[in-house]
This record gives sequence, C-alpha cells and structure tokens, in this order.
Amino acid sequence: MSLQEHEIKHVKKIIGRKLTKTELEILAAEWSEHCSYKSSKIHLKMLPMTGKNVIVEKGYDSGVLDVGDGYVVTVHIESHNHPSAVEPFGGAGTGVGGVIRDILSAGTRPIAIFDGLRFGNIENDKHARWLFKNAVSGIANYGNCLGIPTIGGEVEFDDCYKNYALVDVAAIGFGKKTNLIKNHASVGDIVVLIGGSTGRDGIGGSQFASDSLETEDRSAIQIPDPFIEKLIIEAIIEARNEHCINAMKDLGGGGLSCAISETAESLGIGIELNVNDVHTRESGLFPHEIMISESQERMLVITNKKKLQKLKKICDKFRIRCSTIGHVTENKMMHVKDGQKTIAQLPAEFVARAPLLDRMKSKPKYLDHLKHEKKKKKILNYSDVILKLLSSPNIASKHWVFRQYDHEVGIRTVIKPGFDASVLRLDNDKFLSAKIDGNPKHCYIDPRNGAIGCFEEACRNIVCTGANPIGMVDHLQFGNPENPEIFWTFMESIEGLTEFAKFLRIPCVGGKVSFYNETPSGPIKPTPLIGVLGIMDEPLLPLPPTTGDYLVIIGETKNELGGSEYFEYIHKFIGGNCPIVNFKDSKINMLSVLSLIKNKLVKSVHDCSKGGFSIALSEISIFGKIGCDVNLDKIPTNDDIDYETLLFSESHSRYLLSVDKKNIEMLKQYLTKKKVQFGILGKFSGDQIKMRHNSKYISKYSVSIAQKKYFNALEDLLNHG
Amino acid sequence: MPEFNVTAIIENKPGISDPEGETILNDLVLKSKNSSVKKIRSGKILRFTIVGSDIKSVEKKVEKICDELRIFNPLVSKITISANKC
Repeated sequence: MSLQEHEIKHVKKIIGRKLTKTELEILAAEWSEHCSYKSSKIHLKMLPMTGKNVIVEKGYDSGVLDVGDGYVVTVHIESHNHPSAVEPFGGAGTGVGGVIRDILSAGTRPIAIFDGLRFGNIENDKHARWLFKNAVSGIANYGNCLGIPTIGGEVEFDDCYKNYALVDVAAIGFGKKTNLIKNHASVGDIVVLIGGSTGRDGIGGSQFASDSLETEDRSAIQIPDPFIEKLIIEAIIEARNEHCINAMKDLGGGGLSCAISETAESLGIGIELNVNDVHTRESGLFPHEIMISESQERMLVITNKKKLQKLKKICDKFRIRCSTIGHVTENKMMHVKDGQKTIAQLPAEFVARAPLLDRMKSKPKYLDHLKHEKKKKKILNYSDVILKLLSSPNIASKHWVFRQYDHEVGIRTVIKPGFDASVLRLDNDKFLSAKIDGNPKHCYIDPRNGAIGCFEEACRNIVCTGANPIGMVDHLQFGNPENPEIFWTFMESIEGLTEFAKFLRIPCVGGKVSFYNETPSGPIKPTPLIGVLGIMDEPLLPLPPTTGDYLVIIGETKNELGGSEYFEYIHKFIGGNCPIVNFKDSKINMLSVLSLIKNKLVKSVHDCSKGGFSIALSEISIFGKIGCDVNLDKIPTNDDIDYETLLFSESHSRYLLSVDKKNIEMLKQYLTKKKVQFGILGKFSGDQIKMRHNSKYISKYSVSIAQKKYFNALEDLLNHG
Repeated sequence: MPEFNVTAIIENKPGISDPEGETILNDLVLKSKNSSVKKIRSGKILRFTIVGSDIKSVEKKVEKICDELRIFNPLVSKITISANKC
C-alpha cells in the first residue's frame, strides 16, 4: 500500500504539504486501480454511452435505460475476483451484495442477478472444484436470502484460472422513472450512513484487488450478511417513496473514502464528517481504518434536516443502524474529523480524480506463434467426439449450478436459465431479455475479434428470445496493465467493442475494468464479459420440435476452429483462426431472425456457439427429446472446408431454427428475398441424431445417451472427482 | 493404540464479523432484556473419535484433516482443538 512516484509528485504539486496518515490512506484507497480506473479511464471514453433509451444523471453507479410507459431498467456489472479466490463463499456472496446496492442507489428495486464464473480445470484440480462449489453456494445463499432471482450466467473452466476465480455479477433493477433518485445536495444537508457496522474486515480490499494474487491477503476478507442487505433494500425503497433521499451512494471498494469523495465531487459540494459518529463493530478502530474499511451492507445517504427524523424512523422500523456522520458544506472539500481534531482535509475533486495514466502497449509475442493450424490427428468416430464434448465441463448442462439458485422468486421469470437468454416480465406488459457472455479462448487468440464475438454472442442470445438489444454492459478483466503486452490486449478488446457497439448502435450503459488478475503461474487470458439487455412486446416461448419439423441454419460456417472447444478440449491445441464477426451479416441475420419470430414462422431459435453446429443441434434434440437427420452438405459456407470444421467451427452470426413444415416455404421465400445465407438441413424424427456428408452417415448417436452425458457430466465430476 | 476424543471448534476470527452471532445477540438475547450480555460469537463444533499414540499427534491429525479437506478456511476461521483419552 503506497502511492506511486508520479502520484506523490501530483500531491506535492496540488496540495503542497505533507499528508496526514489518514489522508495518505484515503488517497491510497481511492487512487487504487480498482477505484480510480487510472489505467483505463482515458480509453473508456471511446465507448458509445448515449442513445435514445439511455438516461444519464450525475452520480449513478448503474446504467439506466428507459423502457417506455414511465418505467426504467437499471443494470450494472462488477466482479469480486480477488476475494473469491481466497474465500469463495463469502467473496462471491459479497460480490452479489455490492452490485445489488449499485442498482438500489439509483432508486430502483433489484429484480434479477446474473453470474459469470470462471475457475481452473475442475477435471484434475481439487482446489478449483472447492472454489467452484463454494462460489456457487455463496451466490445461492446470498441471492436466495434476498429474494432476488438469479436468472442466468455462465460457467467456464480453463487452466489459466488455476488457483484463481473470476466471479462476475450483473444485476438488473426496475422502477418508475419518477422514482429515480436525482442526486443533489444543498449546503447544510445531512450525511447519513445506513446499514451494517464498520469493522476491520475488508480493510485494504481495493488495493488488494489492484495487486497480483501472489500472497494470500488476510485482512481483506468480508463476511456476507444478506439479511441486513434485504432490510437495507426495503428501508431505502421506503425512504425513497417518502422523499427522504437527496443523494445516495453505496459503499464498495475504498469504503467511506471513496463514497464521500466521489459523491462530493459529482455533486460539486463539500462534505464534513466525523469518524467518531460512524457506528463501528469493534472498539479501537483507528480513524483511517474507519475511512477505508470495506465492511459490507452499508449505504451513504444525503438527506435534509427536515427529513432526517423520518429517515431515522424508517431505519428503526427495519431495525437497521443509521448514523448521522456529517453534513454538506460549500467549500468542495472532503473534511474528516476525529472529534474536534481535523485528520484529513483535501479537495473532493482532487481525491476523486486520480492522475490518469496512458500506459504503453505492445503486441504480445505469443500471438506470432499461435496462428499455425495444427495437423489434427485423424478422428475415427465423430459420434464419440461429440458425446465427449457434450459431457465436457464447459459444454455440459450447468443445471447443477442454477438449480441451487432460486430463479423464480419475484414471479417475473418467463424463460428460465438453461436456454439462450432468460426473460423477465415487466410491469408495463413488456418483456426484458438478458444474457452475459465471455470467451477467453477466442480472446486469447485474437483479443479484438474475440471481444466482438462475445458481444455478438450475447446479442444473438437476446435475439433468440425475440428481443431487440437496447443496451450493453462490459466487464473487462485482464492481467497486470503495467505489462505493455497485456495492456495491448485490453486496448484491442475495447476498440473492438467500441467499433461493434457503434455499428449496431447499442450504447454501453455501464461496466467495470478489473486488472491485476494474475496468479503465481501468470496472467489470466483476456476475459472481457459482455452483458446485453433486450426488450420486446412478446417473447418467443420455444416449442420443442415434433416429427416432420424442419431444421434450418442461418449464417455462414467458416474455417474458424481457433479457440474452439474441439481444438482445446479434444486436441489440447491452442491456436488457429479465431472466429471473426462479419458486421453486415451479423446485423442482417439478427434482423431476419427477429422478423421470423415476429411473424410466428419459427417454433424455436437456438444460437450456435460453443462446440459449434454439432453441439447446438444436439442441444435442440436433447431439450426436444427427438432425433434429427441432417445433411451437412447443406450448411452454407464459402470456404472450402471439411466436415470436421462444419461440425465444430464456432463461427458467429449463426442460428438454428426449428420450423413447422407448413411454414417452411414462407420462411424460404423470406430469407431468399433478404439475401440471408441459410440452409434447410433436414427433419426432426426418431430417437437418433444423425449427420450425413456426401450421402454417408459420419455420426449417429441416440438422443437418450446424449441427454445422459449432457445433464449428468458436471454433477458426476463434482460428486466423484 | 488408544482411542481419543478430539473436539474441534471452528469460529470466525476475532476481527471478522459473525452475522449469526450478532443476530442471536440483537434479535433474541437483548430483546429479552438480558442487557448484561455484551457479545455472542457463533461457531461449529466437531467431535472426532480417533485412534492414535498420544494427545498431541491426534490433535495434529484432526487439524490437518480440517485444513486439507477445507472443513474450515484458515483465512476466515480459527480452529481450536482439544483432545482427551476415551
């Protein structure tokens, strides 16, 4: 914990005196990478952040989207990687809590949670299994106790996360536009701290998150308490309804230091507070510890003198602590007192705005050695390979995970997890579709196209439910940014995302950057995670295919096996051509699928991604409990590719449709007219999944075996190691 | 070799919060006007019956089992082990 050289110079220049211990601790917390975004901030501006649905107000921790009829949806994404890597149950739980409070601080009620989880190879690593099981339990415990459904996410395992964990949490809120908190404050307003007591837990957490995980840090452990969080949610919502809240911010990384300085800076005010008034859990806390403690389940509220009693009454009703810790001043200073003694006095803007860095970047050398295509060993039995992939941890059903989560509480969930995207019913008779996606294997081979691919995949999943994407959030997770090669991968990813977001006109309404994700064995693969929200009047409730229905593919399959599960899981080979999104095709395919859904010409739509065509087809058959006879020669492709690539390539912009025979002609006409690449591959029938190439069956396996492999693999692995 | 009873108490470390203990204190004990109670910490207790040569070795064995199998996480919890002969 210390300031860097250029930061010390900056302090000298602006403040011109020796800092007190408390001031130094405040700056170290607030200027950590985690709180200040000092490496990424100048680049994040490139993302398109405005759009017709986006509502921008000062001081919001979450993105706000107008969904019509006077309602708004809020969304935010964060990670809790470092804490989860050392204490997965508590780390994952408190991660959920933090993002929930970000949603709450805009004045909206949290209605759904998503989790993106990444661990080492659970097939041979006992520690990875322990991390995985406990992170899932931690999320389930927290979300279920709160009564907020966890409606989706993704789970992935890769050797690069050995002894580490990525726990990303996204949350969605919903409320009336008129109830949004319009953050404002006047001189003399009262600053109140609501919720859990402040203790030594979590001290130095944000700096912990900004260091490599080389030694296990003991002080940064936080213990989740979902019941306090539930009470805070209800108290805040009631206080909002009673107009007791002028401005609000949750306490996350950096604790009070961060919340106070950022609130004061964004509202253009000063705040004077006294650490003696903060309700603490233990005696003997030093003032600087109170300022930087990251104890969970706390909210900072600015109210006025008249409403203070009402606010206190509401907190009493919900039995949560509420301390008046300070007041708003005119001088734009962050003034911290310990009784009568001033222990820190710095301009809020100075604290909240760390000196930014423009880091060096250089193309990583490893990329030059990657591009070669491996000479694959001859596969004798493709059915065995497909079944092996279906039972691989990255592809097998994750129902072991999401059945631990209550995904229906709140009775909004229309499409539950396990399919493409989940769908929630909103109060204005519209439906919200949401999905998060990441793919470190693609991003490692090609950070730019990999990141675009994650974005497109999330959009595809939204489109499969019939919704139009209206906003995205990004969570960019990389290793140490001081390494120019790692910073290059970050820049490539963000530039790619910006390009695609501008092309699709989907605004980025929020996000997070997490650097220093490193373990003793090296940095993680670039892991951008993209969440997309979509809105629609009526969702496509997928119907299982029945005998005689057609299977149709939309989109082109290319020679893009790089980073595929087939290469990495079956051949243990890292390299090859990463799938590249063709922007024009992507848009045409999305619009066509949406139009087909709107005109009720399809029974179900499934996106083709991890594992490629063979896995997407198997999943349709598994869920539909019906076989299919498919001619691979009908798959549209412009490249001269073998059937192995047709089966396993993870090319983007592809959708598998099941279509009733009465609609097939109309569908054909429509897609031909729109010049969409498509192929009618075969019909559903029987109990076998059969794939032909040159009139010869190259793969044939029964649906029931595929089903067993797909549904039981993950649980078997966890139960029997 | 003789048999021993080994008791392992697992509780959160002193500086780490304990929502269960705090809830029992605030919502049960203090509400029943037991104002003399100042603090409650929750934990779990495991009783092992184990064969070994002496008290020290069985205590060590139990601690190793709890640590290796992650029955407790040494970053969060402390373990107190005591043994006596059956």
